[in-house]
Amino acid sequence: MKSLITFILLCHFTWAATPEEHATLKALPIISSKCIACHGEDPNDIDGELNLLSRKGFLKGGEFIKDLLIPGNPGESFLMTVIKWEDPDFEMPPKENDRLTQEQILDIETWIKNGAPWPSQAAQKKILASEKNKRITKEGLIIKTSGGLTDDWTFRRYNPETVWAFLPIKKPTPPIEGINPIDAFVRAKIKATQFEPAPRADLRTLIRRVSYDLIGLPPSPDEVAEFIASAQEDFDSAYSTLIERLLASTQHGERWAQHWLDVARYADTGGLSNDYERSNAWRYRDYVIRALNEDKPYNDFIMEQIAGDELADKSLRERVGNNDNYKKLQRKGQYSSKEAEQMIASSFLRMGPWDPAMVKAPEARQQYIDDVVNAVGQTFLSTTMRCFKCHDHKFDPLPTKDYYRIYSIFAGTQLAERHVSWQKYDNKIGFEEEKAQVELLHNFADSEARRLQQKVEEYAHTWYTTHQLPYKNLKDRKNDPVDQKPPRHGGLSEAEKGQLKVREQDEWIWNRRTERFLPMVQSVYNGPDPKFLNARKLRMPTKIDSSWRPASHILTGGALEAPGEKITPGVLSALGLPVEGSSQDDPFATPKDLGGRRLALAKWISHPQNSLTARSIVNRIWQYHFDKPIAGNPNNFGVKGALPTHPELIDWIAADFVENGWSIKRLHRLILTSKTYQQSGRHPKQYELAQEDPKNDLFAFFPNRRLTAEELRDSMLHITGELNTAAGGLPIRPEMNMEVALQPRMIQFSIAPTYLPNKSRNQRNRRSIYVYRIRGLADPFLETFNQPNPNDSCEGRDSASVSPQAFTLMNSDLLTDRSIALALRLATESKTLAEQIQRAFQLVFNRNASQSEVAKIEPYIREMRDYHAKHTPKPREYPTEITRSLVEEFSGQAFEYEEILPVFNDYERDEQASGVSPRIRALADLCLILFNSHEFVYSY
Amino acid sequence: MKTPICSRPLADAYSRREFLYGLGSSMGSVAFSSLLADEIAANPMAPKKPMTPAKAKNVIMLFMEGGPGHMDTFDPKPKLTQLHKTESKNDRGLAAGNYQFYVGSPFKFKKAGQSGMDMCDQWKYMSDPEVADELCNYRGCQAESLNHPEALFHMNTGSRLGADPSLGAWATYGLGSENQNLPGYVVMTEMALPQGGSKNWSNGFLPAHFQGTALRPKGSPILDLESQSFKSRAHQRASLDQLAFLNDQHAKRHPEHADLTARMESYELAYRMQMEVPEVVDLGDEPEYIREMYGMDNKVTHDFGRQCLMARRLVEKGTRFVQIFAGGWDSHDYLERGHSSRISAVDKPWAALIKDLKQRGMLDDTLVIWNGEFGRTPDNNMRGGVYAIGRGHNADAMTIMMAGGGIKKGAIVGATDEIGAKAVDIAHPIRDFHVTLLHLLGLDDNKLTYFHAGRYKQLSQFGGTVIKELIS
Repeated sequence: MKSLITFILLCHFTWAATPEEHATLKALPIISSKCIACHGEDPNDIDGELNLLSRKGFLKGGEFIKDLLIPGNPGESFLMTVIKWEDPDFEMPPKENDRLTQEQILDIETWIKNGAPWPSQAAQKKILASEKNKRITKEGLIIKTSGGLTDDWTFRRYNPETVWAFLPIKKPTPPIEGINPIDAFVRAKIKATQFEPAPRADLRTLIRRVSYDLIGLPPSPDEVAEFIASAQEDFDSAYSTLIERLLASTQHGERWAQHWLDVARYADTGGLSNDYERSNAWRYRDYVIRALNEDKPYNDFIMEQIAGDELADKSLRERVGNNDNYKKLQRKGQYSSKEAEQMIASSFLRMGPWDPAMVKAPEARQQYIDDVVNAVGQTFLSTTMRCFKCHDHKFDPLPTKDYYRIYSIFAGTQLAERHVSWQKYDNKIGFEEEKAQVELLHNFADSEARRLQQKVEEYAHTWYTTHQLPYKNLKDRKNDPVDQKPPRHGGLSEAEKGQLKVREQDEWIWNRRTERFLPMVQSVYNGPDPKFLNARKLRMPTKIDSSWRPASHILTGGALEAPGEKITPGVLSALGLPVEGSSQDDPFATPKDLGGRRLALAKWISHPQNSLTARSIVNRIWQYHFDKPIAGNPNNFGVKGALPTHPELIDWIAADFVENGWSIKRLHRLILTSKTYQQSGRHPKQYELAQEDPKNDLFAFFPNRRLTAEELRDSMLHITGELNTAAGGLPIRPEMNMEVALQPRMIQFSIAPTYLPNKSRNQRNRRSIYVYRIRGLADPFLETFNQPNPNDSCEGRDSASVSPQAFTLMNSDLLTDRSIALALRLATESKTLAEQIQRAFQLVFNRNASQSEVAKIEPYIREMRDYHAKHTPKPREYPTEITRSLVEEFSGQAFEYEEILPVFNDYERDEQASGVSPRIRALADLCLILFNSHEFVYSY
Repeated sequence: MKTPICSRPLADAYSRREFLYGLGSSMGSVAFSSLLADEIAANPMAPKKPMTPAKAKNVIMLFMEGGPGHMDTFDPKPKLTQLHKTESKNDRGLAAGNYQFYVGSPFKFKKAGQSGMDMCDQWKYMSDPEVADELCNYRGCQAESLNHPEALFHMNTGSRLGADPSLGAWATYGLGSENQNLPGYVVMTEMALPQGGSKNWSNGFLPAHFQGTALRPKGSPILDLESQSFKSRAHQRASLDQLAFLNDQHAKRHPEHADLTARMESYELAYRMQMEVPEVVDLGDEPEYIREMYGMDNKVTHDFGRQCLMARRLVEKGTRFVQIFAGGWDSHDYLERGHSSRISAVDKPWAALIKDLKQRGMLDDTLVIWNGEFGRTPDNNMRGGVYAIGRGHNADAMTIMMAGGGIKKGAIVGATDEIGAKAVDIAHPIRDFHVTLLHLLGLDDNKLTYFHAGRYKQLSQFGGTVIKELIS
């Protein structure tokens, strides 16, 4: 921050322009952008009768205001009071977001001091014209773009420091030689202060930190002992062995994929009204896990997610040649293993919530395209695209034209579930069991619906007979006039009418769910806009008119109804990086063909010289290691995002990353072996440091963090020994808080089927990344611990401590069951109470209990043994059916119906309190406390 | 030290840390139970002074999910009665339906109270002059989305995307809560959650303290509020003390970690809430006549009545913002039956709430709002060849009823056109309605901001206007 202030001050002290130049270039633009919207622009609506279009207007003042401007005397000019927000009744401009910066206030002050000159239009024009030819002045830098809606915007100047991310990366030389370059940059900055870096963390802390970081699980007591023993002999070798072991573990991808899925907004359903399942979305989840485990180069990772379908189809066509054959194989999804991988990756383009129900088709298309444009920008370029959808970007060199050029790239991208045959890497475990359950539920809905439909038909028969008309079935009579057919749902009571609707809805919900066993992926294709949109079934048409081109305009103010200037597809111009193979006169254009637009965009994004891409990913990776990024807003590198604390460091890492094949694992090693990463969380001068550097921008110690929701659940399962580490496949359904699981959940026209956990305990106790992610029904445990809302990209998780977390950790079935499981493990592995306490501390904290801890805990457990001897828990009940009550939306009357919960017929329960002895329950009380403790919940 | 990337104001993080470091490592040894929430400088729920003089201190929002028909409740359209079952060419823009026809309201209208508040004849209790003359009917509000979840999100969070902080979150962020043993923002739903679920009362990008706490209608009012049934309160106290001991030792080893105190305090708050919440929920100490007044003696009105009474008790105890969701208003067909059954479920409790607040002198600073996510259309489509007497979704018009908290009494503000298709007078988008609510609470939408993802964000998204006509 300090250097930024210097830069601004420098401008002011060295400003050598004439008063007219200063007025034209500095003061008048501020007035025009901040004042005249309310004071002059609309002559019929001038606030406070104050017209600020001219100097005369300023001098005249307004309804309530005199002495607004006293030329030459800022102290007496009320304008200064107003723009400084010094008078609570007159704070201008009135919005926090529009408030003048310190620099702008100084400019107005200078302008008044200069006598408030207001050069003629001609004089202003001349000054402006001469200014436009200078790329860099003391006022900043002009960034060449495809041009804004006004010249003022096009030729505005940027402080190079704040537009750092848009400028090319020049690899800096590490300021200290002979050490890990990360340490060189971090230490050089610390050196400039009175502080030293923190010493290395102790070995136990370090192995816990690295374990959670790389695999999201704590180390076992044996792993800790082994590491400590070998590290005491040779730290570097022991540490590097540890890192390699963890990086090679399949668990690594499971931990790191969660970071990516947070940004990409992964869920297994589509959200909104119907919250339809997105069959086989999990293939994308597994793709991300595999990519990270295999260390897929990041540039390939980008290409596949943005243009995987184009890559796969191109490869298939090249492979088989013949057009008919190509189309046949494409429709059947007969892709090679690599092509299949690319197809699956394209699911990235399908991650946003979307449902066109009750939305006009063009609007639903716009919602999708806006969403995907923003997703691509945020995810890969750390650029919040929606900020320049309605106007040129307020702060960044991003004209609205560029937004619509990228919009145009996606304007032919259509949503579809596409066939991609099963691959060796697709885990089909549990298919048979799940299929059986889906069929069971489908058949139940079907038979109930039939029973009611039959009743309607019986009534219809009678009706036709009494009206002396021949019977017609439901389909045949559909279009008959009202007086020539029986009333709709005739013969049914009000309740039955509601029931019928629910059953019919369920019928196709379950029918649709059979799609999850088909070899499909949530993907896209390039083609014309479909006439009808329905998120229920999205398929690629057999015939695609490839000559179709989407209409491409700037949409003024973001409105479909206001198409402005025509544009062609292209990329962001501010980076000055041309599209491969483009022509000189429009270097930022992508091909105009329907296909290939995304491929060109993907190539441009993953180009080694794209200044945003590499910075974006290395900043994220840094953040996930340190729980704090270098540039403060990983989804927004723009002027309003927090500046990097170490601009040279981020550039060095980015350049190094690209030079070395975009390898993420290599970057992990570089970071993990730095002294910066290995620092203790405690700094010898903690208090002074907190005063000077409250946000730890120096990285002079290692920041602690609360474990994420997934880490908490997975770690408990790991510690109790219950964790099933099977990888991939259908989403799993752990036991969720039963009240929430059984609580009805509204969807369009009905109630969603009840959440049913997996029957098998082993299947339930898998890692949290595999948990079925329903947008409309968050798992209460995971949500309470800040699992992000998948409707919005999450650049960093929150971890505020709130009381619901205490409720869930102290009282929930989940925690009670885990504590019983751990107590059972302790009782098996250790004999005496003292040993059991030590074992518990070893498993949960990787350390021994201190004497004072044992002294306090032993009597507590003995007391609890007495308590539990007198209190017997009741077994938990799992209902096999449930009565639902719903207010019929047409009649407004409540009705009931039965829903079956077949999984609980032969449910494999976790070990529960009711099934164990008072001694185990007393030991479980300790386990519960350990799982609630700070020491378990935080990583240091 | 956890530094959330996008969700904690700098100054707050700094002052809090400074405060804790100021106490130095002795912090860990302060007996945790003496650390009441409001003694912690950084307690985000501590009551805060409003920015400007406030007319209302608390809000109770009765959310009629599904979208009540304005022309069937409080905004009479005699013209529609004339047009009943005649063809409508109104382009609602949705998928080309079949024959469209106008639908006259099945209800007769009357004028209630001295103010002559329009009401359909189904409102038996709300039409009591004592209640009717407290009401303000706003007919100018306009939504954007025709889809339930998006429209619900819009009304509740100011954004259709379902990812931003809700009204109640903003209100508690701005004003804190008067009671540290109860949640400052409480939501009550029916057994089935409204469409979009808990995102309707989310804290969005605000810190998690500001999310609405849903009091569940059956079972445990808050998830896992009660300890497991085989654990007594004494058992729990002993366990909490044991936990405090471990945590205390740990905090001594980690004086650098300022969040630990707040975390331990969240356990103590939880422990206190276990006492207080059941007290609020247990209406046994309310006199019989009060329970009856809210309709708790009748199956039809019991559920909503109980929630309205709980809302009053919560506000009395200092909860800032209460929201009750009541569904079933989505009458595409059988309008008469549908709406009359919904009206009879909310009529008596709602009227009781207003009267009860009034008799306790609480209505002046408690704003009671009754609204849906949108209004309904003047026309409908044929269904299966039959004239379905119902209505579609209408984003261009709706009706909002308000009382207390600085709202004009006995006033009808704004107007819809003669068939109720569109707001035409004093028409304002939802954001202006939101800005007005904040204004009544003494909060300035332009200043109630939170820095997130590179921008100061506000409830109205981009600013809005106070609807002055609504304010007394």
